[in-house]
Amino acid sequence: MTPRQFEARYEPCWIELERGLDALDKGARDGRKARKLKAGEFPTDTTPVAGGARVAQLYRQCCEHLALARERAYPVHLVARLETLAARAHQRIYRRHDFGLAALRDLVLYQAPAAVRALRWHLLVVALVFVLPIVVVGVATWVDPHFVLTVVDARQVRMFDGMYGQEAGEHLGRTSGDDWQMFGFYIMHNVGISFQCFAAGLMLGVGSLAMVGYNGLIFGAIAGFLVTRGDGERFFSFVITHGAFELTAIVLSGTAGLKLGHAVLAPGRLTRTQALVRAAGETSPVVFCFFVFLIIAAAIEAFWSSAGWIAPGVKYGVGAGCWALVFAYLGLQGRGHEAAPAR
Amino acid sequence: MKLDTTLLAETPEGIGIQLRPAGAVPRALAYSLDWFIRFIAFSVAAAVLGGVKGMGVGIMLIIYFGLEWLYPIVFELLPGAATPGKRALGLQVLMDTGLPVTPSAAVTRNLLRVADFMPLAYAFGLVSMLLRADFKRLGDIVAGTLVVHVEQVRLAGALPDVAPLAPRVPLTRAQQVAILRLAGRSRRLTTERVDELAALAEDALPPPDYAPGGTAPAPIRPGPRLVAVAQWLMGQH
Repeated sequence: MTPRQFEARYEPCWIELERGLDALDKGARDGRKARKLKAGEFPTDTTPVAGGARVAQLYRQCCEHLALARERAYPVHLVARLETLAARAHQRIYRRHDFGLAALRDLVLYQAPAAVRALRWHLLVVALVFVLPIVVVGVATWVDPHFVLTVVDARQVRMFDGMYGQEAGEHLGRTSGDDWQMFGFYIMHNVGISFQCFAAGLMLGVGSLAMVGYNGLIFGAIAGFLVTRGDGERFFSFVITHGAFELTAIVLSGTAGLKLGHAVLAPGRLTRTQALVRAAGETSPVVFCFFVFLIIAAAIEAFWSSAGWIAPGVKYGVGAGCWALVFAYLGLQGRGHEAAPAR
Repeated sequence: MKLDTTLLAETPEGIGIQLRPAGAVPRALAYSLDWFIRFIAFSVAAAVLGGVKGMGVGIMLIIYFGLEWLYPIVFELLPGAATPGKRALGLQVLMDTGLPVTPSAAVTRNLLRVADFMPLAYAFGLVSMLLRADFKRLGDIVAGTLVVHVEQVRLAGALPDVAPLAPRVPLTRAQQVAILRLAGRSRRLTTERVDELAALAEDALPPPDYAPGGTAPAPIRPGPRLVAVAQWLMGQH
């Protein structure tokens, strides 16, 4: 068959596909009568169908024409026309068909906690890197309050003293600003820190561990210092509620980062790039999880934790409830469900 | 050695789709444009909310956060799969399989901007783009995405409409392809250049003034004779 015969014979099919794609782009419904497919029936290339199904049918035919045209080395303009058409239909046919709400539900209920549990060893390492400095520096500062100055400088110590110390006003944990302003500030600040913890993981995981450890160091120093000053209750009643989400989120961001670094360092039987791509797929539900945790934490920190009029006992109770909630979600939610593969 | 920068993505139907990855310069321009748009948007928000103390500042910070982190993700998940800056430069974000970008990939590639930015001014991202044939920055490598030019470059067009002439000798397939390709590009080249190139195929072309059976004689210049042979290869209706 010569190129000209080929074009004359199949051009109607290409034009119909072009029109079908135009109609789909405009969102118009194809008004032509078409037989409804029976349950379980698969449309073949001769089944009379309309709309999207017809476009899919024509697309498969065009793919066949393109393969033939390439194989027979038909002129470039003919192949190029088929290529453009096939690429356009390919984009259209394989696009997402929903707004991702079902996928989002799946992610929240099953995939996110399952992804965290799948990284339990990385999680354990990062949690230790976070908790050990808190304990060590906390105890060291408690024994010798001057130790705090080896970790943070005097200016910062004064600032924290002003936030949680005797002279802190009705609003705890801040020097100025109202609830809304602080909500915005917390989101910006904490999300920035966590994303950096995550992305720093690309430096062979060392970046994540260093950033998580540094945050643990600061937290331990401040906590130990405030306890020796007798402001322990004020500080702990402030952090306990949102800490359930915020501290967990920092550890989770480090975990996801460590997983990326681990993939680069020890790719196993894959190439480094393949290992990295796979690790990114495995960690993306975790990233979603810590992102949501951080927003929850920012809201709690701005509107609840800082409220000086709530009795510390109530805050401890609610805080303990939040910690139990977070652990139950990450540890138990979705167990026994076969999680859908991450997209 | 491959000189062009196209990539072939294979579809489930078993055909290859050509992708044209965008290099560092158009992407940097698109980024600057996006930065400018975000700057304007934030300035407007700041001007409107600046009068409101406290809550206004909070909302401004939330808007800043959204412009920083959510702006590229949201736009890349909309139809067209590109931020306004990329759209203006005719770029689009795709999976490296040629498929539309998935939500998790869009989130990953934009969160990892932090890694690309290090140590300053997107240095790692730039080095990565310069080293790779598919111009991916670190975030693209991890998410498996690709920034491509939407429009393909077409060097060859339809053949000029002339009367067909048979070649002097039977042609191999490689020769046929070469003649069809040159004829397809003949409109883009000067007539002198086409003649010069067609003269290389003189042995295969019919001789000048060749007129079998009282048809119009073949043109003298080799270029039009090569196009006529290409028309013959295209076949009759």
